[in-house]
Order: sequence, then C-alpha cells, then structure tokens
Amino acid sequence: MILKPCSREKEVAELLRLGQWPAACPPELRAHLSACRSCGDLALVTEAFQRARFEAACAARITTPGALWWRAQLRRRNAAVERIGKPILGAQIFALAINLFLVVAFLAYQARHGLSWLSWLEQLPQAYSFHLNNLSQSALLHPGWSLMVLIPAAATLALLSGVVIYLVSEKQ
Amino acid sequence: MKEPQLMHRESVLPNVLAGDAPQAAESPMDSDAFAGFYERSARPLWAYLARVSGDPALADDLMQESFVRFLCASRPEEGEVAGRRYLFRIATNLLRDHWRRPRQSSIEEIPEEFFASISSSASAELLGPALACMRPRERQLLWLAHAEGYSHREIAEITGLAAASIRLLLFRARRKIASLLRQQSSPTRRQP
Repeated sequence: MILKPCSREKEVAELLRLGQWPAACPPELRAHLSACRSCGDLALVTEAFQRARFEAACAARITTPGALWWRAQLRRRNAAVERIGKPILGAQIFALAINLFLVVAFLAYQARHGLSWLSWLEQLPQAYSFHLNNLSQSALLHPGWSLMVLIPAAATLALLSGVVIYLVSEKQ
Repeated sequence: MKEPQLMHRESVLPNVLAGDAPQAAESPMDSDAFAGFYERSARPLWAYLARVSGDPALADDLMQESFVRFLCASRPEEGEVAGRRYLFRIATNLLRDHWRRPRQSSIEEIPEEFFASISSSASAELLGPALACMRPRERQLLWLAHAEGYSHREIAEITGLAAASIRLLLFRARRKIASLLRQQSSPTRRQP
C-alpha cells in the first residue's frame, strides 16, 4: 500500500480536534473531502470514534477513587514489607545453613570417634520399663549421655522459641 | 431518552487535547489529587478498554488495576497529560498481557455480536462490527489516534511500537475501517 498523505489532512484534523467539523468547515474544504479519499477517511473515522468515545464514557461504570487509593496503599505496603523481609529471609537461610553445618560436623565427629553412645538406644526397647525417670537416672549414671541429650534439646528449644517469637512479632 | 444522552459531552470528557486539563502539583499525588485525576481520566480509560477489548467487565477490572499500578509506580512527577499517557500505557500493557493468556480469554474468540451488544447506540452499532473486523493492535492504534487524539509519538510511547511504523500502521488501519464503515452505512452498495 502506498502512503499518500494529503496536504490538507492537517487542516481537516485540526477542525475535527476542535470539534468544529462540519459546522465550521469552509465549502471548498468540504468539496475537497468528497474528492480526497485520505481526508474523507480521516473525517469519517474520527467522527465515528469520537462519538463512540463519548457514548462509551457515558456508559462507564466508575467505582469510587477511595477504594482504589487504599488498595494501592496496601499494595505499596506489602511491597515494602516484602523488600524488608528479604534480608530477614537471607538471615534465616544463613542460620539454617549454620545449623545444618553444625549437625553434619557433629555427626562426622561422632562417626570418627565411634557411635558407642548410641548403644543405650539399642538397649532401650529391651529395658524392663521405659520411663523418663529411667532416662534421667541413666543420664546421671553416665554424664556423657546427659550432655548428648541436653545440648541438642536446649538448641532445639532455643530455635523453636526464636521462631515463635518471630512469628508473634510479625503478626503484630 | 436515555440518561447518557442527556449529559453534555464536555461534562463527561475533559478536553485533554485542547490542553485544558489542570497540571498536577509538584508534590506527590495525595488522595485528593488522585480523586481529581481519577474523575477526569477514568471514563476515557474505561471507554478505551471497553471498546478495544470488547468486554465491559474486563474493562472494569483492567481499569481498576491500571489505576492501582499507576499509584504504585515510582515515576517522575509530571503533568496530568503525561500522567494520563502513562495510565494508558499501563492499560495497554494489561490488555496485551490479557491477550497473551490462554485462548479461552482471547479476544479473537469473542463473537462479533458481542461488540454490538456493548451499547445499543447508533454509533456503537456502526462501529462495533467494524471494530470486530480489526486486529487488536489496529483497534488500539485507531482508538488512541482518533478517539483520544494522541500524536504518533505519543502512541509509540503508549504502545511500545516504533514511532516510524505508527504512521503506516495507522494509515492502513484507517483505510480498512473506513471501508467497513462505508459498507455498513450503505449496505446496498455491497457486492452481491
């Protein structure tokens, strides 16, 4: 398709833009429009679209701006919280990695020095009765075992309480 | 007579092209400033979305999303005209994203009758079927150029197309829709 712009197209566009078409259109321009396809198309299409725009705008179902304003504020707040939460997430991942490293190191250490302390676990089902009192008694009799039980238990408790405190503070 | 026809054109649509839209204050847009901007921009934006997508319900959703994104966007403080252009750009991107979704929501599957059912007015009955024959991109270009009165450079900014190609694309689209409009306005001239 060959693009052939008409020299009077701007004149027609200006009349349409100002809403002066066809009332303020000079007769010779009107005659030009009936002969020039480009200008005729411009006038026809612009008129149709402007009328459609007006009618569609009248039919628009507009909500209150306040609701949108607060929705945007909420979204901005959430985005800000997410931005702030990223370093916290990083710290959590780092802490988890450190914990995993310690566990692996501990297991490696134990593997190297034998797993003799696990023997009480093997004996546990054969015990005449399995009660906490018995555990504490055996821990008292074997001080090495008590440390093995107490340290991970304390670490787990500290970790869980930290998580609980974080979740509570986040909710607030 | 229907209520919309009683309304005066200038009371519904601000004449943005004539430059009578007030310029936004230099300070960031607060709630009151947004309310004013919304009052002046919501109807033209809804008209654009509804006529280009052919779906008034979709236009409702996309309009709200456009305004929310507009408020959330960190953009340099500019006048209202530039703000409105930015708003149309957001809406255009949302429309494009919508069309890229799975085919059940594609505009290509919307029946031709649906466009005519948006409004029963004379212009809608004339323009609806003609718009249905156009491609989504052509509808966008035509609406932005002839309904909103944006220049080629502004349309390029809104749609993300190259400014040089806007002129040719628009020329082709205009010629195509003008032929369709002429055919519809004088059905007796149609080929048997």
